[in-house]
Amino acid sequence: MLLWIAFSLMTGAAILAVLWPLRTGAAVPAASTAEADLAVYRDQLAEIERDRASGLIAPAEGEAARTEVARRILRVSAERGREGASSGDDRRRRIVAVVALLGVPLLAGGLYLSLGSPLTPPQPLAQRLEAQPDPSDIAILIRKVESHLEANPNDGRGYEVVAPIYARIGRLDDAARAWANAIRLLGPNAQRETGLGEALTARAGGVVTGEAKSAFQAALAADPNDPKAQYFLGLAAEQDGQTAEAAQRWSALVAASPPDAPWLGLVGAALTRIGAPVPAPASGPGAADVAAAQSLTPEQRDAMVRGMVERLEARLAQEGGDIEGWLRLMRAWTVLGQQDKAKTAAGQARTHFASDSGALGRIDALAQELGLGS
Amino acid sequence: MNPEIGHYALVLSLAVALLMTVIPAWGARTGDAALMRVGSTLALVLAGFVGLSFATLVVAYVQSDFSVLNVVENSHSAKPLLYRITGTWGNHEGSMLLWVLVLAIFAALVALFGANLPARLKANVLAVQGSVATAFLLFILFTSNPFTRVIPPPAEGQDLNPILQDIGLAIHPPLLYLGYVGFSITFAFAVAALIEGRIDAAWARWVRPWALTAWAFLTLGIAMGSYWAYYELGWGGWWFWDPVENASLMPWFAGTALIHSAVVMEKRDALKVWTVLLAILAFSLSLLGTFLVRSGVLTSVHTFATDPSRGVFILAILVFFIGGSLALYALRAPMLRQGGLFAPVSREGALVLNNLLLTAASAAVLVGTLYPLALEAYNGAKITVGPPYFNLTVGALMLPVAFAMPFGPLLAWKRGDLAGAAQRLMAAFGAAIVIAALAAYAQGGGPVLAPFGMGLAAFVVIGAMAEVIERAGFGRVPRATAFARLRGLPRSVFGGALAHAGVGVCLFGIIAETSWNAERIAGVKVGGSFEVGGYELTLDRLEPRNGPNYRDLVGVFTVRRGGVEMGTIESAKRLFTARNMPTTESGIRTMWFSQLYVSLGDELPGGGVGVRAYWKPFVTLIWIGSIIMALGGALSLSDRRLRVGAPKPAKKPKVRPDPAAVPAE
Amino acid sequence: MTRKGRRLLVISCAAGVLFVAAGLVLFALNDTIVFFRSPSEIAAEGTRPGTRLRLGGLVKDGSVQHTDGTHVRFVVTDGGADMGVTYVGLLPDLFREGQGVIAEGVLAPDGSFTADSVLAKHDETYMPKEVADALKKQGVWKEGEGTP
Repeated sequence: MLLWIAFSLMTGAAILAVLWPLRTGAAVPAASTAEADLAVYRDQLAEIERDRASGLIAPAEGEAARTEVARRILRVSAERGREGASSGDDRRRRIVAVVALLGVPLLAGGLYLSLGSPLTPPQPLAQRLEAQPDPSDIAILIRKVESHLEANPNDGRGYEVVAPIYARIGRLDDAARAWANAIRLLGPNAQRETGLGEALTARAGGVVTGEAKSAFQAALAADPNDPKAQYFLGLAAEQDGQTAEAAQRWSALVAASPPDAPWLGLVGAALTRIGAPVPAPASGPGAADVAAAQSLTPEQRDAMVRGMVERLEARLAQEGGDIEGWLRLMRAWTVLGQQDKAKTAAGQARTHFASDSGALGRIDALAQELGLGS
Repeated sequence: MNPEIGHYALVLSLAVALLMTVIPAWGARTGDAALMRVGSTLALVLAGFVGLSFATLVVAYVQSDFSVLNVVENSHSAKPLLYRITGTWGNHEGSMLLWVLVLAIFAALVALFGANLPARLKANVLAVQGSVATAFLLFILFTSNPFTRVIPPPAEGQDLNPILQDIGLAIHPPLLYLGYVGFSITFAFAVAALIEGRIDAAWARWVRPWALTAWAFLTLGIAMGSYWAYYELGWGGWWFWDPVENASLMPWFAGTALIHSAVVMEKRDALKVWTVLLAILAFSLSLLGTFLVRSGVLTSVHTFATDPSRGVFILAILVFFIGGSLALYALRAPMLRQGGLFAPVSREGALVLNNLLLTAASAAVLVGTLYPLALEAYNGAKITVGPPYFNLTVGALMLPVAFAMPFGPLLAWKRGDLAGAAQRLMAAFGAAIVIAALAAYAQGGGPVLAPFGMGLAAFVVIGAMAEVIERAGFGRVPRATAFARLRGLPRSVFGGALAHAGVGVCLFGIIAETSWNAERIAGVKVGGSFEVGGYELTLDRLEPRNGPNYRDLVGVFTVRRGGVEMGTIESAKRLFTARNMPTTESGIRTMWFSQLYVSLGDELPGGGVGVRAYWKPFVTLIWIGSIIMALGGALSLSDRRLRVGAPKPAKKPKVRPDPAAVPAE
Repeated sequence: MTRKGRRLLVISCAAGVLFVAAGLVLFALNDTIVFFRSPSEIAAEGTRPGTRLRLGGLVKDGSVQHTDGTHVRFVVTDGGADMGVTYVGLLPDLFREGQGVIAEGVLAPDGSFTADSVLAKHDETYMPKEVADALKKQGVWKEGEGTP
């Protein structure tokens, strides 16, 4: 509301700037061109007189200069009074007043409504950090934890909270560092060590590095049954070319898992990949389940895809400058049948690239193609 | 403050600028005083709204409001406050907003201080200024809007290019813009006069203060930019003939020509057609510079964004204003009345020579800057026109200017006495020879031309003083009278002499630096030494240091001369963590007017570090000279003659020209 | 002197100055321009040694060798051909392997390139325009990919 009042006051000031000089009482006769010229030439004459008096110019020179200026004065005097400056007729004044009264609000208002975002409040950083946490503002939540950790660098819990969030939005370096700090301050446990190992592995593009490997080993030391650690150590063995060890770890993992464990499909696929037989899970149902798990059920695949799309969405909310990402997000939601989410993504993308006509064009084209309207 | 206030103020500015283009022009056409008056209030309101808009953006930067896209892209909450503020104009959108702000401020100044102007001229000037503002506001709103919002806002910005994170950036662009955009006023005066079809000596008097203001700011801006590049880029060079530097130099040449030819026009009513053309050219070259920098046609340090749609938009603005004004000029100029006559050897003649050489230099720079573009468009060949071209052409054109400079003010108007002027310059000439001889002796076997250059520079400085001494009459009249006359001299005489002396000082610095600088590149280990320009530098230690948003590797050097310790120099390699981008923070030690300049290179595999060191004799005179020039401009500006009071339409006794004083020529 | 004569004299002086200036510009342009070439262009055209050039391309990965404090050797490539460059001096701040670079200098008789100045990009998003064009020609870099 305050904003609209400010807008109206500003518009009023602009209109007043036109109306004020038009009011009849303001009729001070304008300086005519000839008068203004004359003022300059009189000044020039006076200056020549001063120079001559103080001996700065020779009398002959001064005389010649005077002659020239005097001739200019004569010429201008002849023009004087020829230009009739009217103090304005009412018809013109009315036209101008109407143009100002209607044109300014219409033009400014219309243009602003198409360009501006009046509903977006100002969001100074300090204020965002102080305000009540808004669960949708992940960026700020992280910032808050970060500034809290800056002040209390020995709060292990803080690192533990923020580490998985870092991993989710793809800040893998920070995730690894946070897990390492949590381990340093709170002591190792299986969850922290696997977290660290996973972050390190993801950072290395899926390669289980030596550092990651020792983290997983530490996790196993803390909890010999930790399935993630088992899986990744198997992966490490596979990457080192030790298929036998990989097969052994994975088989053991499957054998120790309950039949509804979510990782069975993944491990089964890994075993098939290295050509090892897939054993039955702990309370052994038939091989049919295993086979089914190998090729994920449509629901599972859907859930997996949805997880990926959500991660993409979270990343774009963080750093919106990636046009390809936005286009992918729009397409992905459409494929998943979430037309309205796709539309929201298109809207957000447009806001991000409002000043980039090339990107806008691509967004519009895709929206058209996907039938999202534009 | 809500960024939307700034956004609305910007939109409203467009509406106001449109009205400002139309209403006063209509008033001037119909002779309607009320409509003409509207121009002044609109100019003030326009400056207010653009200022409000700019202030809002600054606040968004200071508060790190990351819901504004422009802040996200160019700021970072860890940046020191000063650089958060200067970051506002360290990017494309913000700098365009600053451009328009300066434009609006100049229009408002005309509205405020233009009481002595004829109403019709003033109205037309404001209308032209309004049209330029309209074009650039459209450009900002539709291609480079700084108020685009981001939802949801990120928690951190993407920092500002570290090269631009410097105090030099805080002052250099605003000064440069005050100069660049200041010429919009002289442009507006020229177009307004052409529209009216009436240009006379009084016009020159009205234009001169504006041209001088713009020129002084441009001079300062160029000097600041040069010093910034000198210490921030770490190459030890103070002028690179970078397209952006050229873009500021071209209007400077044209503007320098303009302030001189305006004098002729004011005094003798001559060179009118030419002066008006220069007023148009100075701003056209400013626009061209803006186009080159903003469109990304030429890449350089200063190119923030390369977006073709922006380039096309600015090109359209360029074509409209330059083409339009030149067409109007072609249409109206032949109708202007010829002015006073003069002999080739006269004050006017000297100023014509100065104008020719300055415009030729401006054209040479223009050719060198645009030739690669033209050639590539023509046959695809990629070439570079480098410093050798510019040094040769501009150098060859400026030397005669420097040599002729002391003569000009000593020549009389209309018909001068060259031999007499030369005679009065004998003392200056003698002093110059002495200095050249001293320089030749001091340098031993250095460049042959250097002593001549030093002599020329000394001639310019001393010759500039000769005018003041001559006009006061020292040596011809009793000393007391001479002193009395000296006090009575108009300030513009002192201003002119000071500016000319500044040129000499600057020239002195340029010639000394280019002829006698010493450069040394070496790999140094801690404890090791090397020699440059007679100074021995020892690397005492290399130490890491942490700044607010960067890490430094600092090399501390001890300077000795002949075994005597003279102090230390610290030079650093700085890594900005947000962008993982290194910069060089050169270490500079000033001794009198000379400088020792040390920049660090990479750490070497075997330990130690690469070092580049320069000895730059008299280098600071380059910038001191430029500041003296600008001060000269300011002094001239303060001359009361440029502030002729408002014409009083009241019945004042008309000065009757003495009939006897109007003989036929 | 008559009115006309004076004006003629002033105008002819002006024409003289402009004529000299134009001559100067043409002379300087002829003598001082430097062509830009990519390694493949040099290989294809057989450019003569001793020619002053601006060589542009990417710094080949693993090719930078510091021989002593200030002598550097590196290889510039555009994907089609390679060219060895020797340079004495400090490399610019943003000189990195795999990044765009422009070296100005002279082609040596042995087919290598002796640079007297080396320019790198100014920030992490800027690729010298000439280099980008040359790489596009070789198909190494495509528009919109950003800096490789």
